[in-house]
Amino acid sequence: MTSRSINQDLIRPKIAILGAGLMGRMLAVSLMEDYQVELFDRDCGDAKQSAAYLAAAMLAPLAESADCSKEIMQLGARALQQWPDFLSKLTEPVFFQKKGSLVLAFEQDLGDLELFKSRLKGDEYELINSLEIKEIEPGVNARFNAGLLLPNEGQLDNRGLLLALSKTLKDSGVVWHKQAQVTRVTPAGESPMYHCEGHEFSQFDWIFDCRGLGAKEDAMSDNQVNKPLAQLRGVRGEVIRLHAPNVTLSRPVRLMHPRYPIYIAPKEAGVFVVGATQIESEDSRKPTVKSALELLSACFSVHRGFAEAEILAIESGCRPAYWDNEPKIKVSGNIVSVNGLFRHGYLLAPVMVEQCLHLLKGTEKSSVVTKIMPLLMVKDG
Amino acid sequence: MNSSLNIYGTPLTSRLFIGSALYASPKIMLDSIQASGAEVVTLSLSRQNPEANGGQAFWDYIKSLGLHLLPNTAGCHSVKDAVNMALMSRELFETDWIKLELVGDDYNLQPDPIALVKATETLIHQGFKVLPYCTDDLVIARHLVDLGCEVLMPWGAPIGTGKGILNPYALQAFRDRFPETTIVVDSGIGLPSHATQALEMGVDAVLLNTAVAKANNPVLMAQSFAKAIEAGRGAYLAGPMAERNTASPSTPTIDSPFWHQS
Repeated sequence: MTSRSINQDLIRPKIAILGAGLMGRMLAVSLMEDYQVELFDRDCGDAKQSAAYLAAAMLAPLAESADCSKEIMQLGARALQQWPDFLSKLTEPVFFQKKGSLVLAFEQDLGDLELFKSRLKGDEYELINSLEIKEIEPGVNARFNAGLLLPNEGQLDNRGLLLALSKTLKDSGVVWHKQAQVTRVTPAGESPMYHCEGHEFSQFDWIFDCRGLGAKEDAMSDNQVNKPLAQLRGVRGEVIRLHAPNVTLSRPVRLMHPRYPIYIAPKEAGVFVVGATQIESEDSRKPTVKSALELLSACFSVHRGFAEAEILAIESGCRPAYWDNEPKIKVSGNIVSVNGLFRHGYLLAPVMVEQCLHLLKGTEKSSVVTKIMPLLMVKDG
Repeated sequence: MNSSLNIYGTPLTSRLFIGSALYASPKIMLDSIQASGAEVVTLSLSRQNPEANGGQAFWDYIKSLGLHLLPNTAGCHSVKDAVNMALMSRELFETDWIKLELVGDDYNLQPDPIALVKATETLIHQGFKVLPYCTDDLVIARHLVDLGCEVLMPWGAPIGTGKGILNPYALQAFRDRFPETTIVVDSGIGLPSHATQALEMGVDAVLLNTAVAKANNPVLMAQSFAKAIEAGRGAYLAGPMAERNTASPSTPTIDSPFWHQS
């Protein structure tokens, strides 16, 4: 802000961004040049209450397509191309890798692997045998006889990214209101309004609501015909972070599991993120023994080097999701709600930002994102 | 044998009971359930922290369908766990129906027959209408019926295997030995033809989940199951022909010219 003249600031429209999770931060970084951005954060700036803090940050559009629509896969593939450019705008480097991912199944789960393959909505994968598995990931359990290599998948370091975003925003002088809990109040028959102690939202030209599950109560109060369908819900996930210097995995491994995909994602400096469970519950408790056992036995079964790994953290949280598990950009006047990214926050964030920029320019209808997924954006009236 | 289907006095039109787990999204689940025409939906509290209503949002989706809810005790390994979960389910879903599942073997999720009988007795005393998930063991089934079960749910194959009816002889004997009891084949159904086979055998209904939820197009698979079940029931009611060991021409040949006969 210091480098700008007062006149420049006067003509830049004002934008409030509610929520300083992944979407809030990325939008703020993307908008701070051309707009006066103020970020409202219920946390202390550490993002610990956001779903993004826990996620494994897999960028795996094809693997995810086994359980999501083709449109989400296409948007994910587009986002994967956009990540390097986005990361280059940050003041600190962030671990980003595009070495593909490996999908493995034990003998008794080969049926699941076959099903997984048949559900993929693209064909950029290779079937590999035990020798090929050993060649590309020499350390994995020799009992794996078959797998899939998805060469175009990527991943990044979620916590490194959240920190780098924070640093970039700080360096640019973006106003960041911490411990600022925002609630939406909607008097009957009137336009939505926001409330936050000590702040006035009417001064903003645009409000971007990126509060994730923090917006759940508001969504429930929306006057929709079929209430449950308009609601946000939380889908519980549990994640383990390990320090495993003896493990040699160089790319994420997805292990076939009867209930949900389990990833073992190698980050920098011997750190691995193993996750995540996916339970239809807004349970806010700490992780359960059963989930921890599932995740730990999964990683141990893939690579024996995890035996002496140090457990850095076992954490739980809830992903914000709409009933179709697909994100929405809901526009009502000058209020834009970006929510419901479910397990696809990192997969889709850059294209969500791209679409928000189009919205501000008024070019959203002609954007590539709209062409891929017309239902991403919902406008009132 | 029941000519019309009812569960503890509640009449039903559809002979397909459907599960609510494993779908890619609640939307796909709701669309699939509707496409199946099922009137009974099973749901589980397992791992959802029901004490704090952890699954409320998900349960609301299922409730929005307005169908009969059949809570289950999936994942329970002991009588105590199953009874507790049944009590919690009754309170949350306001139904005294309970699909009683008690795992006796983690490898194939085979029900524990001893614990099943004990839990059934306890739950019936507490006013539940128990739908026990059992094997095709006739003796255990007799105990369950003697305790007051009006519905039995024998497996076709282990849960989630999709292998179909592994022991048709045992299932037919099960049907024949309990002509007054409603028999619902639960678990192991992978294809619509498996469901047809069960209904052709005179089984009253089929309960399935994975076969629809894990299909590449769950809605289309749900529709296909609905048709298959209708076909199986129709075939059963129509009375199938008897099998023969020798060919028998379907067209009389006595008046055919000899050069047409070979």
